[in-house]
Amino acid sequence: MEKSKIHPDQKYIEGIAANDSAIIRSIYKNSVPKVVFYIMNNSGDKDQAQDVVQEIMILLFNQAKANTLLLTCPFDAYFFLLCKRKWLNELKKTSNNGVTINEDFASINESALELVQEAEQFDEKQQLFDTMFQKLGDKCQEVLKLSFSIKSMEEVAEKLNVTYGYVRKKKSLCVGQLTQWIQEAKNFKSLKNN
Amino acid sequence: MNEERYILFDQYLQGEMTVEERNSFEKEVSENPEFAAEFITFKNVQVQLENKFGHEQEREAFIENLSDIADKHFNKDRPKVVLMRPWYYAAAASVAILFGLFFFDYNQNPSFNDYNHPGQAHFTERSNTNESLIQAEKTFNERKFKEAIPFLEAVLKENKTSEIQYYYGVSLLQTGQDKESEAVFNELKSGSSVYKEKALWNLALLKLKQKDYNGCKEILETISQDYEDYDEVQELLHALD
Repeated sequence: MEKSKIHPDQKYIEGIAANDSAIIRSIYKNSVPKVVFYIMNNSGDKDQAQDVVQEIMILLFNQAKANTLLLTCPFDAYFFLLCKRKWLNELKKTSNNGVTINEDFASINESALELVQEAEQFDEKQQLFDTMFQKLGDKCQEVLKLSFSIKSMEEVAEKLNVTYGYVRKKKSLCVGQLTQWIQEAKNFKSLKNN
Repeated sequence: MNEERYILFDQYLQGEMTVEERNSFEKEVSENPEFAAEFITFKNVQVQLENKFGHEQEREAFIENLSDIADKHFNKDRPKVVLMRPWYYAAAASVAILFGLFFFDYNQNPSFNDYNHPGQAHFTERSNTNESLIQAEKTFNERKFKEAIPFLEAVLKENKTSEIQYYYGVSLLQTGQDKESEAVFNELKSGSSVYKEKALWNLALLKLKQKDYNGCKEILETISQDYEDYDEVQELLHALD
């Protein structure tokens, strides 16, 4: 993607990453009401709107922490589009009947749309990853969890009461197991698409 | 599973190879697309794991804070402190009206008591065993501010957080120790914690208590619009006009 100019609203993304209450409150005050209005006008209620907003906020946090989110459009437009699409996906999942959707409300902003697609890919990738991770054995999950939160492998070995050599090998193999599964999923997907 | 390959990947990424091993590894990457693809996935998995577990605590703190703010936002129309039952409100209101009829003195200035809501403390949500903290919360919420002060002081001595400082300031204010209270809130005001705006609000209340209406107004005007109880700030500003 061509690196367009970063929008000054990047401060919202930084605020989310820093868990800045004032920024979060201002998002709820300025950007959330529009989302609630939209969801309530499209077969949803207030609680469902609250859930969608919360999930999107967590997605933004994860994206910001992974340093993969550079805002090239106003935050408000991006946030609304993300929430809207999330809600439409929810509707599709839960209802077999046709859903009436008020499309006129959408203001499509080219770069917002591009960013939203990136966010959705990020989310999808993370969900796939989480599913794979859950498939690992308990020992693998524990070793990986400690290895990536503590960093020093000597400390990890000490904590698990095993040798450094063992924990290093175990870590490589557990990451390898995930690699294999994800690689297989990728190959399967490209087979399907061809 | 190709165990040796994954061990090799890890050794390469950890920088544990000799120059020769490195060269032959890189040669393999450039010549064998299947090897290269798997190596890239391996690296991506590492990044995912770092994202997942590297920020675990920060993520939990974020979600907790987020839920708090969201609950406040979405339930704004409900009363914030549900200490009184509706019929108490009705009783209190009728008493207030009676008093008002008796002592109606055309004094239009807002009074401290109208805006004085000490709030509820929630220090011990996460199975805390600090006795002072538990007692501080208990006495504060029972409105025994005089008793709460020594407990809060004990907690502050161990671990000075903005939250405890704030409730300490409120307790001092409620027990008429205005000067001490003002000092605490002034300290919070110059910090950057979430209690900054709350501290400003209490400093404004102190001025109101001392009937320094201009001073009160000046402080109110410095409170950010993002303050959670900004409605009340506006109301008081309006009443002062």
